Amino acid sequence: MNDLALFNWWAISITAGSIFLTLVSIYLYADSRANHRENIRAHASVASLVRTFVFVWILLGLLVFYIVSVHLGSAYIFAAGNIIVEAILVTYLIRNRTDKSEHT
Amino acid sequence: MPTEVYQALNTSEQGLSEQEAQQRLKTCGRNELPTHVFSMAQVLLRQFKNPIFAILIACAVVAGVFSELKQAIIILSMIVLSVILGFYNEYKAEKIVENLRQNVSIKAIVVRGGKSSQIDSKLLVPGDLVSVYVGDVIPADMRIVKSKDLQTDEATFTGESFPVEKTSNRLELEAPMPQQLTNYLFMGTAVTHGSGLGVVISTGKNTELGTISKSLVRSHPETEFQKGVKKYGNMLLTLTGALTIGIFSLNFAVGHYWLDSLLFSLAVAVGLVPEMMPAIITISLAQGAGKMAKVKVIVKRLVSIEDFGNMDILCTDKTGTLTEGKIALSDCQALGEEMDPRILDYSLLCNSAVVGENIVGNPMDVAIWEYVIKKDAQHEVDSYTKVDEIPFDYQRRIMSVVVRKDDEYILISKGAPESILSRCIYADISGRIEPIEAVAEAINTKFSTLSQLGYRLLAVACRTVNSGGSYSVEDEADLTLLGFLIFTDPPKKDAHQAVTRLKEMGVDVKILTGDNELVAKTICEELKIPIKKIVCGADLTQMSWTEIKTVVEETTIFARITPEQKLDLIKALKANKHVVGYVGDGVNDAPALYEADVGISVDTAVDVAKEAADIVLLEKDLLVLADGINEGRKIFGNTMKYILMGTSSNFGNMFSAAAASVFLPFLPMLPMQILFMNLLYDVANMTLPTDNVDEEYIKYPKRWDIGFVRKYTLFFGPFSSLYDFLTYGIMLFIFNASTPALAPLFQSGWFVESFWTEVLVIFVIRTRRIPFFTSRPGKWLTLLTLSCVAIGTIIPFTIFGSALGFTPLPPEYWGLLVLMVATYLLLVDAGKVFFYKICKFGGSDR
Repeated sequence: MNDLALFNWWAISITAGSIFLTLVSIYLYADSRANHRENIRAHASVASLVRTFVFVWILLGLLVFYIVSVHLGSAYIFAAGNIIVEAILVTYLIRNRTDKSEHT
Repeated sequence: MPTEVYQALNTSEQGLSEQEAQQRLKTCGRNELPTHVFSMAQVLLRQFKNPIFAILIACAVVAGVFSELKQAIIILSMIVLSVILGFYNEYKAEKIVENLRQNVSIKAIVVRGGKSSQIDSKLLVPGDLVSVYVGDVIPADMRIVKSKDLQTDEATFTGESFPVEKTSNRLELEAPMPQQLTNYLFMGTAVTHGSGLGVVISTGKNTELGTISKSLVRSHPETEFQKGVKKYGNMLLTLTGALTIGIFSLNFAVGHYWLDSLLFSLAVAVGLVPEMMPAIITISLAQGAGKMAKVKVIVKRLVSIEDFGNMDILCTDKTGTLTEGKIALSDCQALGEEMDPRILDYSLLCNSAVVGENIVGNPMDVAIWEYVIKKDAQHEVDSYTKVDEIPFDYQRRIMSVVVRKDDEYILISKGAPESILSRCIYADISGRIEPIEAVAEAINTKFSTLSQLGYRLLAVACRTVNSGGSYSVEDEADLTLLGFLIFTDPPKKDAHQAVTRLKEMGVDVKILTGDNELVAKTICEELKIPIKKIVCGADLTQMSWTEIKTVVEETTIFARITPEQKLDLIKALKANKHVVGYVGDGVNDAPALYEADVGISVDTAVDVAKEAADIVLLEKDLLVLADGINEGRKIFGNTMKYILMGTSSNFGNMFSAAAASVFLPFLPMLPMQILFMNLLYDVANMTLPTDNVDEEYIKYPKRWDIGFVRKYTLFFGPFSSLYDFLTYGIMLFIFNASTPALAPLFQSGWFVESFWTEVLVIFVIRTRRIPFFTSRPGKWLTLLTLSCVAIGTIIPFTIFGSALGFTPLPPEYWGLLVLMVATYLLLVDAGKVFFYKICKFGGSDR
């Protein structure tokens, strides 16, 4: 198998993995709404979907970035991109941190 | 006739001398059953019961047969190391439990050198004279020499569900069956009625119980946790089987060498199965049992710890748990204004307590003697001679004795006021004998008032009887009521705090008592326990099973209930999907203790109750119980961490290995590399039982939920796979390791990344807090995990690494690795926001 064919295989695999995780997220979200008997329509606005699935957008963004940087074969681009994503993730985690009141 | 028995065993009615008893103990050994002993060989063999070792051995054999000797030796070394690790920890755990069990001893009242004393039943020897009373477990096989209305429950021994009458009468039977030996008491059976004195015939393994002990080992039903772990194991094995066959077929189909494909698929299978799970669970449980022992909670059955933590309903008799449990006599009250010294004298005479160095026996009888000693009260007991005794039983709720003073024979009865009053025709009011009807109303009012105040009363009555002859329960009639003994069992100072704490922990307390509803209600009010509803035993008998299941949810106090009704209530709670704990210490509690998910007894309980219990409290204190529950929850939490990690990172890694093996021109990791990683991962997890558990996690009871584990695997498993794929991309297209010649570089790169992510994610998954570093991990877990990461990092640079097929990695790799792993850990933490906060999963494992 030549490098291009190998790259295609690899890109397909990692994309399939990310799409699988996205689908699992959608399934789990729908399942949780059904279990909690909440009004799905109330959460169906575009803004709320964007907020709810921030994690999925980050994941898909990472996928694109990883495919591009690996395709370019540049360790520096890969490193820089990771640092940016880490900064985004840290911000997201701080905004969603567990309240101290929930610790006890 | 007893003389013959004494002669046969070279003893006398004074019992053995202490010296002779010690000598016989050396010859006959301790009075213990062999079934409680575990051997090193047993523990070692148990390690191989894990089906994963069969797979590993098969793998080694296949490698050996096809001349891959180096590989076979490495696989066998892995097996040996895994077995040693598992064996060491499990053996240590068994020893800890064994030591804890030693703390729960069954006592026997033995006569030695003419003196009665209470000793550990393990020290009994043939020839010892042993007294037995209601509630006692027979500590050895004995020939009865004296008995009074003695009945035993031999259900565990003969299957006979009705009590068997026992006497000291000589039997003329040829080759009798054990159940025909009515003058024998068999070890392990229980006294349900009366009392007796027996000579020990045989002890330990020489008893009837000893010879058939294997069939008598009580098989507890599986706990909720055991059922859950089994389901999880089956789920994983099915998945592994399918994946192994799939990987082999695909690898073979794309042209990989069939033997490599086979060994690889088997190694992936090994990587998937958490073979250390039994050892991790055992260590967790044993360590937990050790910690619980420090708070005076002795775990008799390790697996019950998890259910202990998951318990959401605690049923208890109020005595001793909500109250001091130490009944004290507060007053002897006559019916008139003047004191009647006969009440105290008679209650000392009509008394089953054994007074020796310690006073042992029925708590109320003990309390009467303690009252006399404490108050230095005057009495004239010595001027009476005891002629006969009619022992207490639960049906009559009366004990009687016949005594002689000068030429007068007096029958004294002492017992529950209702029972005594129904047998009285007169009342003695300051020396005046009046018909009982004249004072019945006043007495009932007094009884009701005192009961409402939480006092417990015993009535004392008497009558003169004819001399000579035998006395029986029929003589307990036409009595003259003298007065009452007033006992108090005040609420414990910390009971309110304990009940509040249990409530905060999500454990609902229900009171199941044989006492009347007024007493139970008063105690609850004093302790500020909110009473939803009170139901009496008589009401329960009118209810259908469906109604009982409903009423059990709405009721706080069940009063005047029978042991059978206690059992029904526990069954109803279990049917309503509660994890039920039951605290009890009496003979009548034994069925409920056995039926409850967690049977809890106390060290001072009757032997039957201690035998039936899973957990024994050295102090009858609900606060101690709350500490124990906390410990159980921590153990459950740490076990869940291992399971969740095994199903997420481990599963993700093996899945990506399987996928890569199809499109790569070489194996992404050699079988022995997978095995080594698996072993190192297990070592990193060995200190997981010592990890800290977040306070909020142990706040409420948890329930095993396989659905939650499935969702967790489905969601967090792919994270690990994605980063494995990313590593493939880096190794293939940044470090150009895409040819078979550079396979060692690829394999080394993936090994290190895979191991780092698999192990370091422990710190993210172990807590639900976001960000993960706000929860402090245990120091030993941190130390061992980071040490294992260090070993995994330097392996490619070592000779051992070369033997495993690794090669040193370039410096740039390490920089990328650090960044990539940091992103991975943060992404998993972000995934927790979605999983726990947005989808609100995690309440589901409650």
